[in-house]
Order: sequence, then C-alpha cells, then structure tokens
Amino acid sequence: MIRLSLLQFRTQAVIALVTTAAYAVVLAVTGPGLASMYAADGLSSCRGGSCQEMADYFTGSLIHTLYGVLWPLSEGVIVLAPAVIGLFWGAPLIARELEAGTSALAWNQSVTRTRWLAVKLIVGALAAMAVTEALCLMQTWWAAPISRAVAQGASVGVGQSRFAELNFATHGITPLGYAALAFALGLTAGALIRRTTPAMALTLAIFAALQVAMPLWVRPNLAPPDHTIRPVTSLGNALPQQTGPGGTTFTLYAKIIPGQPGAWILSSGPVDAAGHATRTTPAACTSVGNTGTSTGANGSSSPAGTGPSAVVDCLASHGIREAITYQPASRYWRFQWTETAIYLALALGLAGYCFRRLRRLRC
Amino acid sequence: MSAVIAASGLSKRYGRTWALRDCTLAIPEGRVTGLVGPNGAGKTTLLRLAVGMVAPTGGTITVLGQRPAAGPAQLARVGFVDQQAPVYARLTVADHLRLGTWLNPGWDDGLARRRIRQLDLDPKRRAGTLSGGQRAQLALTLALAKRPELLILDEPVAALDPLARREFLRSLMEAVAEHEVSVMLSSHLIADLERVCDYLIVLVASQVQVAGEVSALLASHHRLSGPRRDPGSLPASQEVITESHTDRQTNLLIQTDEPVLDPAWAVKPVSLEDLVLAYMSRADDGRPARRPRLGVVS
Repeated sequence: MIRLSLLQFRTQAVIALVTTAAYAVVLAVTGPGLASMYAADGLSSCRGGSCQEMADYFTGSLIHTLYGVLWPLSEGVIVLAPAVIGLFWGAPLIARELEAGTSALAWNQSVTRTRWLAVKLIVGALAAMAVTEALCLMQTWWAAPISRAVAQGASVGVGQSRFAELNFATHGITPLGYAALAFALGLTAGALIRRTTPAMALTLAIFAALQVAMPLWVRPNLAPPDHTIRPVTSLGNALPQQTGPGGTTFTLYAKIIPGQPGAWILSSGPVDAAGHATRTTPAACTSVGNTGTSTGANGSSSPAGTGPSAVVDCLASHGIREAITYQPASRYWRFQWTETAIYLALALGLAGYCFRRLRRLRC
Repeated sequence: MSAVIAASGLSKRYGRTWALRDCTLAIPEGRVTGLVGPNGAGKTTLLRLAVGMVAPTGGTITVLGQRPAAGPAQLARVGFVDQQAPVYARLTVADHLRLGTWLNPGWDDGLARRRIRQLDLDPKRRAGTLSGGQRAQLALTLALAKRPELLILDEPVAALDPLARREFLRSLMEAVAEHEVSVMLSSHLIADLERVCDYLIVLVASQVQVAGEVSALLASHHRLSGPRRDPGSLPASQEVITESHTDRQTNLLIQTDEPVLDPAWAVKPVSLEDLVLAYMSRADDGRPARRPRLGVVS
C-alpha cells in the first residue's frame, strides 16, 4: 500500500522537489551576500549600546536592496506552501478517486479502506510537513543575519519582531502544524464534497480564514498577557498624534518596552496620573502639540521646544504614562508549541472524521 | 446448493429515495448468475452492497458467509468490476499490474501477464489512452488475477461495441472455466446473458420476479396460443405470466412443471428474452391481470 501511495504521489512529489530545490538555490546563492552585508555593517563585532543603531541601519538599508524583496518573498512562499499542499495534495486524495470512479478499483483490492486511507494520509501528511519545514529551515538559515540584527535591537525596515505575524508563521515549528492542518482540511473537504475543484475552493477559504483569525484573535490569548505602566519619556518610539479639531486629543503607541527586548506588544495607550485611560491633551500641552503636528508630519527634525518629543515631554510632566499589554519575548517557544499543538490537534480531529466518513462513503 | 450471496430484507436509501427496498435473494455457488431488470430495479445498488461499497440501510447481506468488505481476507475473496471499468488514467498498464501485486496477497501474476499478452496490450501504455474495451479487459484482469472465489460485474459490457462485448464475455467465460469462480453479473442485454449465464434472476423494483437455472426456466415456460378463453380456466399447475387477447385468439406465457396436455393450445417454446420481458412486464402491472388486454406479448 505504501508503494501504491508513492506511485500515485509521484507527480506531486516531483513538483514539490523541483520547487523546493529552486527555492534552495535562490537562498543559497543570495545568503552569503546577506551575511557579508551584516559583517560589513560592523554588526558581527559591535559591543554595547551602539549595536542597536547599527542594527537599525542594517535592517533599514536592506529594504532598498534585493534582500528587501527576497525577505518577504521567501517568507511568503512558506505562508503559501501549506495552502498549496492542502489544495493539491489533500483535496484530490479522496475526491479525485470518487470523481474518476477509481475508488471502485482502489477499495476492492485486498486492502481495507481504513488501511488505504491510513497509508495515504501518513505519506501525504509527512511529506507536507517535511516540505514546509524544509522551506522554513532554509529561510531561517538565510535570514539569520536579520534575526541577529533584530536580537541586537533592530526595529526598522526588515527588522521585525519574532512575534510579527509573518515572522511567527514562517519560523520555528508552526509551519509543521499549518501543513498538517491544510492537508487534513483538503482531505476532509474532498471526502465531504466528493468533487475536487469545489473541495479545493472550500479548503482555501477555510484555511485562509483560519490563518487570518489565528494571529488576530487567537494567538494573543494563548497565554494571559502581562501588563506594565511606563513613563512616556522612556518610550523611544512613542508617537504622539494630534487628532480631532483643535488638538484636544492625542494617541500614543509604544513600539518597544525598555528592558523587554523582543516583547510582543498587544496593545498600548496613555493613562493619566490616576491610571485611567485618557485621550484628552492637557491644556498646557495643546499649543506645543499644534506646532508639533505640522513639523512632525513632514518628517523634518523639530526645533527644541516643539515637535513630537516636546509633546511627549509635556505629557510626561502632566503625569501621562503609557499602559502596555504585552507578551514577554521569553514566551516565544511556548507560543510556538501551543499554536502548533492546536493545529496538529485540529488536523488529527479532521483525519479521524475522515476515517469514520470513509467507512460509510459510497463510491 | 450453498449461497455465495444471501440477502434478506436488504434495503438501501439515498436521502429520501429507496434504491433498494426489502430485497431477499440467494445467489448459488459455482454458477454464472445473470441479474436482469429494468433501470432503477436496484441492480447496481445490490451489487455495490455485495462488495461493501455501500452499507445497507436495513436488512442483511452476507457474501461467502461474511459481511461484505469485512476485512482484507474477505476483500481478497471477492473481485469486482464496476460499470465504468475504472482504471487510473495516468498509470500505465504495467503500473496497474504492480498495484495488483502490492495490494493482493493472492495475486496471480502469471495469469495477469498472460492475459495482458493475449489481449495484446502494451504494458507501457497509459490506461487513459486505452479504448473502452481494453479498459474493461484491464479491469477484468485485475479482478481475475486477485483469484477471487466470487466475481461480481456490474454492467460490464454495456459501454462496449458488439465486437469488444463478445471478446470480453469470451475471456470471462474462459477464466470462469479455468478457475472455477462463481460469477454474478448484471446486464440489460439479455442476448449476452443468454450466452454466458446458467442461472438467472429477474429483479424488478427490488423484488425477485423469478430465479432459477436457465435451462430449467426455459423448460418450464411455454407460449400457448389458441381460441379465445378465460385464463382462469387453466389447470392450477399452470401459472399465467402474461396474457394477450384478440377477439378470437388468446396468447399466454405460462409457467408449469407439467406437460401441457390441452389439445386446444398450440404450444411453443420461449426464448430467454421472452421470458425476461414477460416477468418484467408482469411486475410492471403489479398483479397478473384477469381482463383482456392487447399486445402485451409480441
């Protein structure tokens, strides 16, 4: 039965191998260049506080190079791989047999349907997980200089947190879970709808919805977040913005938390001295803010006493602080494992359903 | 006579439609059994139930003494060729034989290769490029080389041209003679059944209308024609299957195990086709009618 599944899997396997090989070649050719840029920017030998600026320079300048294009593309491939696998490996597995009537041939050999599905499922799921994780490991190797720069404090350009949606979903072990689920989803859709093309459409729709819902609504809640209140002056990247008529309200975002490098900031907002959320600009800061808006919006540096930093100083002196909800960087692997476990459990559940359904399925 | 297939009260419902309802029958061992009936009689459903491709909604069916598709051993004992004779279009003929080797412990590779050679099929050819007749032969080869005790074929020749049909049935008969396999096949084409079957079942609306050895059936059915008379006046041993009347004449098709002695009748033998059509049209009318009708039996 294993030999039959391999025989029938031939075409898909060849396509997957060729694609993976092409991906490997592109990364292998460009990887050393990226690493040498990292070294050329002095990041491999820097010590102490200057590192962060140099790292920012490195990740910021990459945006305008080939690497700035390859970085999102290479991650995009890993995001798409499970979906493609679910569509072209999972959905046809049962549906095409039913459509072509070959289920009448396959299920009348001296092999029970359960065993037929078990072997096909294991071969397909293992291949799906192996391909996706291989892509992931190659990209991790390629992007290692960027990851090191992020660890050194880079936060501009391609220097994004490990918790950033795209980064989290394309590194570590999450691609394993995505691949398994997408495959199982395709399989189930095929068994339910019995026709390949609609099953592919359904697989894509559900998988895309899941991949959007997961980072937006589920992942932040996988562990109870931590809370902290920080003075606004210490927030290097706090951005005051004047909104509404007359500059009477403001918003303030935290991009980093001092002392918590790499933390995943879920939400942040200003609170007054009493700890209540506030949006109203204290009257004393209104005039400072007005000038700040005009100059700040142009991106030009502000003269002393005006501009964004002046507003922040003024807000701080009126007791405004920043409340931040976040997940510490140390929870990265806990999140990776939890999310992967959820996807694998869902995939197992769907697979179990397929076994039950297949036993009753007419062919 | 032990039964290779025994069904009792067998029913299958798809949604709200009954594809088979309360069907009871027995298929004898060591015979080539033909299953005939109009479209919608439940033939395909019955065969699919017998190979375990569908599960019954109600009733029971045992095949070779076990539940259909109960396990690998049971699957190995039953060969099946589906209506469309499905094969994997992208796999070659040789791939199909390998598939058979891998999936069947009792696989007779010599038989499979010999048949492919006799059929003059190029093993390197993709199954998708085969003609309908060749595809059916390949599907039959797969089913035969499994060395089943029971071979089930659902309308195996319906899609074939007359020449391919004859070839298919001929090779089926050779295999049956050689390997002593019980066969059950369904068909619309009574002429084909006549050529290969020695046992016949007429199924109409899930019910067996008549079942028996072909020779015995032909011997016990007669076509009577004579002056007009009421069929009710026939001896109790003669069962009227169909009747037709003109003003002066009565034509009957009767079943009886005794000789027809009444000199008023001109007695003629029936063909298998007459017999099948008679039972099918009788079932169509529900009960045998006792009123004069015209032109039922030609």
